[in-house]
Amino acid sequence: MKASSLEAMVQKALEGHKLSTARLISIFEDTRADAPLRRRAVLDELDKYQTRRAKFIGITGTPGAGKSSLIGELALRLVAQDPHARVAVLAIDPSSHVSGGALLGDRTRTNFPVGESRLYFRSQASDLELGGVSRTTFPVCRLLDRLFDYVFVETVGVGQSEIEIQQVADFVFLVLTPLGGDQVQFLKAGIMEVPDAIVLNKCDAVEEARRSYHALRGSLSLSRPGEEDRVRIYKTSVTEQIGLDNVSSFILSLERDPLGRSMRRKELYFFGKWARDEFGRAGLRYLSSLGGAEALLEGQHFEHAQAAFREKVQEGIGSWLAEKS
Amino acid sequence: MSDEHQTERKAHLLYDKKTGEPTTDRPWIFRTYAGHSSARASNELYLSNLETGQTGLSIAFDLATQCGYSSDHPIALPEVGKVGVPINSLDDFHVLFDKIPLEKMNTSMTINGTSMWLLALYVALARERGIDESSLRGTTQNDLVKEYLARGTYIFPPDAHFRIIAEMYEYALERIPNWNASNICSYHLQEAGATPAQELSFALANAMEVLDLIKARGHFTDEQFEKVVGRISFFVNAGIRFVEEMCKMRAFTELWEEITRERYGVTNPRYRTFRYGVQVNSLGLTANQPENNAWRILIETLGVTLSRNARCRALQLPAWNEALSLPRPWDQQWSLRLQQIMAYETDLLEYPDLFDGSKVIESKVKELKEQAMAEIEKIRGMGGVRPAIESGYMKSSLVRSMSERVSRIASDELTVVGVNRWTDGLPSPLMGGEDGGIFKADDSAGNEALESLAATKAKRDPARVEKALAALTKAAQNKENMMEASIECALARVTTGEWADALRGVFGEYRPVTGIDGQKLLLENDRVEEIRARVERFIEANGHRPRIVVGKPGLDGHSNGAEVIAVSARHVGFDVVYSGIRLTVDEIIASAIEENADVIGISILSGSHLELTRQIMAALEASDAKGEIPVVLGGIIPDGDHAPLREMGIDDIFTPADYSLTDVMDRIMAVVEARAKA
Repeated sequence: MKASSLEAMVQKALEGHKLSTARLISIFEDTRADAPLRRRAVLDELDKYQTRRAKFIGITGTPGAGKSSLIGELALRLVAQDPHARVAVLAIDPSSHVSGGALLGDRTRTNFPVGESRLYFRSQASDLELGGVSRTTFPVCRLLDRLFDYVFVETVGVGQSEIEIQQVADFVFLVLTPLGGDQVQFLKAGIMEVPDAIVLNKCDAVEEARRSYHALRGSLSLSRPGEEDRVRIYKTSVTEQIGLDNVSSFILSLERDPLGRSMRRKELYFFGKWARDEFGRAGLRYLSSLGGAEALLEGQHFEHAQAAFREKVQEGIGSWLAEKS
Repeated sequence: MSDEHQTERKAHLLYDKKTGEPTTDRPWIFRTYAGHSSARASNELYLSNLETGQTGLSIAFDLATQCGYSSDHPIALPEVGKVGVPINSLDDFHVLFDKIPLEKMNTSMTINGTSMWLLALYVALARERGIDESSLRGTTQNDLVKEYLARGTYIFPPDAHFRIIAEMYEYALERIPNWNASNICSYHLQEAGATPAQELSFALANAMEVLDLIKARGHFTDEQFEKVVGRISFFVNAGIRFVEEMCKMRAFTELWEEITRERYGVTNPRYRTFRYGVQVNSLGLTANQPENNAWRILIETLGVTLSRNARCRALQLPAWNEALSLPRPWDQQWSLRLQQIMAYETDLLEYPDLFDGSKVIESKVKELKEQAMAEIEKIRGMGGVRPAIESGYMKSSLVRSMSERVSRIASDELTVVGVNRWTDGLPSPLMGGEDGGIFKADDSAGNEALESLAATKAKRDPARVEKALAALTKAAQNKENMMEASIECALARVTTGEWADALRGVFGEYRPVTGIDGQKLLLENDRVEEIRARVERFIEANGHRPRIVVGKPGLDGHSNGAEVIAVSARHVGFDVVYSGIRLTVDEIIASAIEENADVIGISILSGSHLELTRQIMAALEASDAKGEIPVVLGGIIPDGDHAPLREMGIDDIFTPADYSLTDVMDRIMAVVEARAKA
């Protein structure tokens, strides 16, 4: 990428130009070894401007719970209620374990009007990660942080994989449909630990919704004693247009980083994860021998720390391994 | 008849039930699926077909009419008059049926999402001509299951469409007793890859869903309900495995007899007859050595005519060049002649059933019946056809069957002559002539429809239109039968788009699951590995997995091609964005841009590739992405159009001749690599 075109691209992306935004995102999805420094160049360029800062809203839940259409409704409300807001959706779908390819989500379910420059939808493949978020999710969030006001991060919830969305999102909604018997089992599997709030979606039938609401309250008091009142439960229906305004107003009212999940904290977590993805368990042990992510991130940007660590590993890991073994 | 006569009876002769004399059967109804460009041109075609000995009308509507849009809607414009006749209002029907005596016609309309509207127009036409509507005969296809699964011209969610079907039965039985309000189609399921057992089970489960609903609505007495059962007719496919197909037909006949007797308690045997029409298979017709298709059509015809007990009531044949373009009148005539030779030159119609008592046939039929019943049980266990559609179960089953089929052709396990064996042949003289052996759509076809639409709007009474639409909306909301309100709309010169919009407002529009989730090809060989290795090298060099947006713009709902490409691309390691049918070009291009796709793959079978490509390039241009994201096209695209399409900026073009998925993926990969280097 030429430097001049980078400047132009950043400027256009700040104005909401979609192709430029798309290309910048691709830089943050780049898996090549030298990509972090190119990302830093983009961020440095962006940091010349007084940019937006995003709130990251995690949306997780079972397949078929209606997450995409719910996000669509919420995003439309956010841009309607806040005339300056820009909203991005980052939807993560599972990859095939055979070919590595993924079928990326049905973006049309969000029903975004074509030509609405303040709404942006991007799919990501989980890329064989079990964590529900891809290894490029966090880097991309660092970019989106500066280009949008609200970023929805959507993952398909299957058991343990919800945990990681807490690391990337400032606030996590668990989306459920009114519960059937088999889903009670599912709730026991620890999923109740995850959400900061619950959306009971597809509440078209009043009685069923009411019963599910109370069942959920019950589960919460068992799985998160003392905390259960903190977790709000919203009842919504996209088809009947019920309850959606409550959720969007709540999102609008959120402070940035409402639960103290600072970017710093996210960096620490994802630096460790990155080190392990790239260099395995030995890499992780080496990182801790250097004082951990805290030491590396001290006084330098995430991307520079990545480059520095890679360099250290390349020159040092051989001799270090030789010493230890 | 006397005992004396019976002793003389010969097993190979047919005897007249009344006179006891030897007799022969009457032939089936010969149909030609026809209609194009404009009401006027279609009318001329019908009149000339009726003269050549055709015995029924079969009307093809254009996609706009089928999907509930008037010709002037932006999504309709590229499609007006392409695959059938555009009908915007009753004025167009007056032209379409000019000089055709409705009361003597058996009119079959291939119409589904807007079936109630077209029937309302037909009744309104009869009323304006002073014809007794009870004399009308014919069929509205009106089968939404295959629309959700294979053909794509649904508008509303399943519950709404099923309600419309039930209301049409209720209206028809009382007012137009010789009208088949719907026709259960398994034809399109086979085109989408259904196995014989799937074709049997999906069609029968569908018929049961319709009947159960009608019964539950409680509109009919038991006696009337029997008649409704008797009006259920089927439209079936017949493929190249003609012995199995004949057994499938016998299985259909036997299963329907059992279901109507046991499940619905139908006592009159007449109402338990499996009545069916056929179009033989188009899926197996090849673009390579297309002249071979003439033999395929003949052989497929055998499957539905040989066995007297399971012989079709009506037959329409595709044309030899169907994989290349829409048929020309001569192509249709050639297929019609096949039927005439079969019925009038051969001795086929002189015999009773040729296969009664055959152990082989009996055993095969039994096996098909068992497989079908097991599948029917499964679907009913899911709560019936509607839940099995909404959950994506039926669609996924078909996509899987189709993927298996293409995998087997690609791995040469399935022989297709001229495609994967005996591929070297002499050039076909049939492809000569000025038109190159194919039909060329008249690009000005839509103008007449637009003019007539404007004329209708100018002269109608707006107050009557408004009142009629309000009454329709009210009937829809209050769950009243919408037929009479629709007929009043027709008489008031409401347009097709207005009628559908009123109901969209009440029922909403439906977007079904694409069915490609979790699908894989059964194709693992060195070439697949080679492409995957190429994908890995691409990732290493470019830092991301190649990403394709597969798009199906416009109203054409034949999504097999797009689905197979989406599944194949993922199979070799692409990340794939595919959002199903009926998207606008702008929507597809917006996805490709936001997703920063490496390539856009567009599938078009309706013949609108030139217009749609113009739109695609304009949309890319408007987003500064022209030349930035390469575009490839797939579909029935005549050779002559390739050069202009490439001129407009298309990077590669795939037609049915490119049957090898690995070749297709190879070429798409080459386009992606070229873009990355640029």
